[in-house]
Amino acid sequence: MMSALEQYGLLLGLAIGTGGVVLSLYGLARALGPTRREPGKDVPASSGVLSRDPVWGRYHARYYGYALLFLAFDMEMAFMYPWAVVYKEVGLVALLDMGVFLAILFLGLLYGWSQGALRRQ
Amino acid sequence: MTLAIVLLALLASVWLLAVTEGWTTTGRLRPAAPLLSGLAHLGRESIVPRTPDRVFFETAPVLFLIVAVLGAAVLPLAPTLVIADLATGALFINAALAYVLVAVIMAGWGPNGAYAMIGGWRFLGQLIAYAMLIVMPITAVAMRAESLVTTVIVGSQGSLWNIVYQPLGFMLFFIAAMALAFRAPFDLPIAAGELGGGVDAEYTGVRLAVLRLARLTLVVTLASAITVFYLGGWHGPLLPPWAWSLIKTLAVAVSMLLVGRYLPRIREADLMRWCWTLGIPLALLNIIVVGVLVLVVP
Repeated sequence: MMSALEQYGLLLGLAIGTGGVVLSLYGLARALGPTRREPGKDVPASSGVLSRDPVWGRYHARYYGYALLFLAFDMEMAFMYPWAVVYKEVGLVALLDMGVFLAILFLGLLYGWSQGALRRQ
Repeated sequence: MTLAIVLLALLASVWLLAVTEGWTTTGRLRPAAPLLSGLAHLGRESIVPRTPDRVFFETAPVLFLIVAVLGAAVLPLAPTLVIADLATGALFINAALAYVLVAVIMAGWGPNGAYAMIGGWRFLGQLIAYAMLIVMPITAVAMRAESLVTTVIVGSQGSLWNIVYQPLGFMLFFIAAMALAFRAPFDLPIAAGELGGGVDAEYTGVRLAVLRLARLTLVVTLASAITVFYLGGWHGPLLPPWAWSLIKTLAVAVSMLLVGRYLPRIREADLMRWCWTLGIPLALLNIIVVGVLVLVVP
């Protein structure tokens, strides 16, 4: 068996190796032929008209009500994983503890729902 | 050795999936088509759009492929046939899959094109819808296995597969996995026909080839995750363990393709509403049901 450090080292190597494969593909494509520079070729898909401003402006995130609830749930999931591993060992107490925690969170979801958080604004 | 076998199996699965996808869309079975189309992409021009965010534009395809491969690295094909049998495997795959969002947003932001950017923002909304349905069902799987190690999770399903033990979790995870890989009917960031290709729109040539390869690899990784978490991994009669893993993975991947072909694309507002008003309560119910089952059934 490998130690944890070796395993993460292997995964890092895998990531770097995959990046290397992609880079060599890019090199191969470049060797096959260059990209010819022609006017108008590099305009992004927008019916041939280059927009005046960059598209990185403010975007109305109509799902922000969901996004706030999502933050609460996402934090809670961080606690769920260690709990799930020792769940059977701890037994009924674990079920009750997490049941109360989840019930409070679920009440939050119900409250948000009743206040209209669960729709596109 | 293990590394080479697993990567080869991953590549073979991607190839088979690409052939099947071509078969279902064109009606012709052409085994060489994915290879030829990949080569053709290499020969084509790879255009960089005017005034891009160059770092994001170049990073997106590479990052996408890397996270798909890393996700597959912690999933076992057989008891010893796994690249890294991490103590936190089920958590690691969550972390890897979270980067799919980063890659897709980068692909949307980078080219400075309106359609791509809208596709990127849409996928952020899609993440808020599906993410909980990825995380919560995996929790219930870990509760039964008493471990986050993927090989132990498969081992815990020796007597009864999780698809029978927690069918609700399986259904939610399957749907969420399709939304994560943005397969039809959840292909909102690509949305051919309304966004003109969305996040794919500005990519050409070799970069597009890498992007497509990454997306297919992600589908195989997710199908493999479904196999490991719910379909008993390598368990099965007669055939060797690795064969069962591959058969199940491919069956799940192909079923994802087929489901998408017969459903219309879902609206973003509907996806979010259904996921939060129906999906998350069901996922919580699944955790409680599994919790009681784990304690009551010996």
